[in-house]
Amino acid sequence: MKLPKHVALTSVALAGALALTACGSDNNSGEGDTGSDTGSSVSGTLNGEGSSAQKNAIDEAIASFSANNPDATVNYNATGSGDGVKNFIAKQVDFAGSDSALKDEAVDGVVETDQAAERCAGNPAWNLPLVAGPIAIAYNLPGVEGLTLDPTVLSEVMLGKIKNWNDPKIAALNEGVELPSTAISVFFRSDESGTTDNFQKYLSGSAPEAWTAEPSKVWPGTAGEGRTKSDGVAQGVKNVEGGITYVEWSYATDNQLGVAQIDNGAGAVELTGESAGKALAAAEVAGEGNDLKLSLDYATKEAGTYPIVMVTYEIVCSKGLDADKTTLVKSFLKHFASDETQGTLEEAGFAPIPAEIATKVNTAIDAIS
Amino acid sequence: MSTLTQDTVSPAPASPIDKPNTMRAVKDKLATVAVYTAFLIAVIPLVWILYTVISKGAGALLNPEWWTNSQRGITARTVGGGAYHAIIGTLIQAAITAVIAVPIGVFTAIYLVEYGRGKLARAVSFMVDILTGVPSIVAALFIYTLWVTTFGFERVAFAVCLALVLLMIPVVVRSTEEMLKLVPNELREASYALGVPKWKTIMKVVLPTAFSGIVTGVLLGLARVMGETAPLLILGPPSKAINMNPFEGFMAALPTMINGERDQVVQAAYDRYWGAALTLIILVMALNIAGRLISRFNKVSR
Repeated sequence: MKLPKHVALTSVALAGALALTACGSDNNSGEGDTGSDTGSSVSGTLNGEGSSAQKNAIDEAIASFSANNPDATVNYNATGSGDGVKNFIAKQVDFAGSDSALKDEAVDGVVETDQAAERCAGNPAWNLPLVAGPIAIAYNLPGVEGLTLDPTVLSEVMLGKIKNWNDPKIAALNEGVELPSTAISVFFRSDESGTTDNFQKYLSGSAPEAWTAEPSKVWPGTAGEGRTKSDGVAQGVKNVEGGITYVEWSYATDNQLGVAQIDNGAGAVELTGESAGKALAAAEVAGEGNDLKLSLDYATKEAGTYPIVMVTYEIVCSKGLDADKTTLVKSFLKHFASDETQGTLEEAGFAPIPAEIATKVNTAIDAIS
Repeated sequence: MSTLTQDTVSPAPASPIDKPNTMRAVKDKLATVAVYTAFLIAVIPLVWILYTVISKGAGALLNPEWWTNSQRGITARTVGGGAYHAIIGTLIQAAITAVIAVPIGVFTAIYLVEYGRGKLARAVSFMVDILTGVPSIVAALFIYTLWVTTFGFERVAFAVCLALVLLMIPVVVRSTEEMLKLVPNELREASYALGVPKWKTIMKVVLPTAFSGIVTGVLLGLARVMGETAPLLILGPPSKAINMNPFEGFMAALPTMINGERDQVVQAAYDRYWGAALTLIILVMALNIAGRLISRFNKVSR
C-alpha cells in the first residue's frame, strides 16, 4: 500500500508548517509582550503608500508607534508619490505619502483634489506636512570641505555650463579654499522624482535668470549622467571624483559625501536640522482650513536659513473612513507629529517640522472624524 | 545502380583498426576538453552566486531571531528583527498557489494523456504552450485588471496567488504529462483486461506509478513561483509585520523583503537583504530535496 506513506509524509510536512506558524513573534522591542506604556493603545492595521523620500522618516515613526501599540500594525510601501496618490484614490491604501500636495488644477482633465474627495465619500482630503527633508548638494572632492555655492552658480553647474571645479565663479564664492581642476560630473535622477521637482522649484525660485526650465518631476538638463533613485545618484557621486548631485540629506550622510553650504545672499549656510527648520518655520500655509499645503520661500535671505528643503505630506481623508481606521489614523498621525517622534528624525536625515506648523497639524488631526 | 554501389564498396578500405588513427585521438581529446570547459563555465556563475549570497547573508541567518521574529518596529538603520514574516508569507502564498494549481494542472494532464483526442485536446495543449510563455509581469497585470480594476478589491496576498497559479499551471501540466506518458501501456491494458473501468485504472494504476515524477514536477513548479517578484510588486505590497490572512492586508514575502531594502546603503539593511536572499535559496533547495526524497521513498516501496 502506498497511500499511507503519502499521507504520513504529508502530515509530517503539515505538522512542520504548523509548528513553524506557532512560534513567530512580532515583538522586537526587547521587552515583554506588554510593551505598552501609554495605557491607551490602539489596534488594527493601517496601510500607506507613496513617496520614497520620506520612507526613512515614516519608518522611524512606525517603529516607535509599533512599540507603543503592540496590537497595531502600520505598513508603508515606498513606491513613489505618484503611485501613492493613485492607490489612495483607488481606495487601495488608507493614506498616501507624497512630495507634493494634491493638485487642485486639472491635469489631463482630472482634478486630484476632486478624485480624492470622491474617495473620501465626498469629504475633502487633507495634505498634512509631517516630514521635512532638506535636499543636500552632495559632492565628492577629497580635501575640500565646506564648499559654498549660490543658486546661480549651482544652476550653471547642474546645467553643465561650469565645467571644472576651479572655475572662477566657484572660486569667487570659496575664498581661501584650494579648488582642484577636476572636471565636474553631474549626476541627476533619471526617474521621475519629487526631489527633482522640489530642487528645481528652489532653483527657479531663487535664480530665475539662471534656471529657466519649468519645475517638474523630470530633470530637464542634459549635462552629466542620469541614475535611478536617491541611492543611485549618491552612489554615482561616491564613485566619481568631482561628482555632484542633489539628494536627500540622509543619502549624502550615509554615503559620507561632502555637503555644500548654500549662500542665498546672506552668507553661506551649512545644512543642519536647525538651519533647514528655519526655512520651514518661514513657510506659509497655502491650503484652506485644515488643509495644510505649504508654500516655501526659496529665495529667502534670512540669515542662517538653509533654503533647499522639501516638505512631504501625508494625504488623509478628513472624514469618510470607517470608525476603527479613523481612530488608528488619528493615533498614528498624532504620534508622528509629536515632538518626541519629530525629534528622532534628525538622526535619519530629516528636519523636524517647526512648532508652529506642528500645532496646526495637531489641530487638523484632531478634526479628522 | 547496384553495380555502382558494389564497385565503390567492394575494394576493402585500409582498416582503421590496423594502425592507430591520431586524428581520432585528437578529436576525442578536443571534445573532452570542450565538454569540461563548458561544464566549468556553467558552474562558475552558480558557485559564484552561492558564494556571494552565503558569505554576505549567512551572518543574518545565524541569529536565532531571524527565524522567529518579524521586522515589525525595525527601521532600515537598526539592527535586529528577523525574516519570519516573509518566510511564512512566502510559504502561505506557495501553499495556496499549489492547492489551486496542482489539481487543475494534474487533471489537465490526465485529460491530455488519457482522454484527449482531436481538436479540443490540440487546442488545450496549444493553450498550455502559450501559457508557458506568458511572462510573470503579464500574468500579474492581468490579475490586477481583474481583481483591482474590474472587481475593485484591495491588493491582497490571494491575488498574488492567483497570478502565481497562472504561472504554475503550465509547469505542472507539462511535467505531469511527461510522467503519465512514461507509464507503460501494458499496465493500463492489464488493468482493463481485469475489467477495471478506465477512471479506476487512472486512479489506482496510472497515477500511483507516476506519483514520484508528478511530485517532483509540482515541487519544481513551486520552487519557480516562490521566487517570482513581479506579481508581488504589482499585487502584494509588503508588510513588516506577520500577517497570516491572505484575504486582508499586506503580506510580506521574501522577494519583496529583498527588494524593499535593496536601495538602502546602511549595513543593517544590507545584511538583511542578503540574508533574505539566502533564506529564499535555502527554502527552494529544501523543496527540491523534499521532492527527491519523496520520489526515492516511493521507488523503494514499489
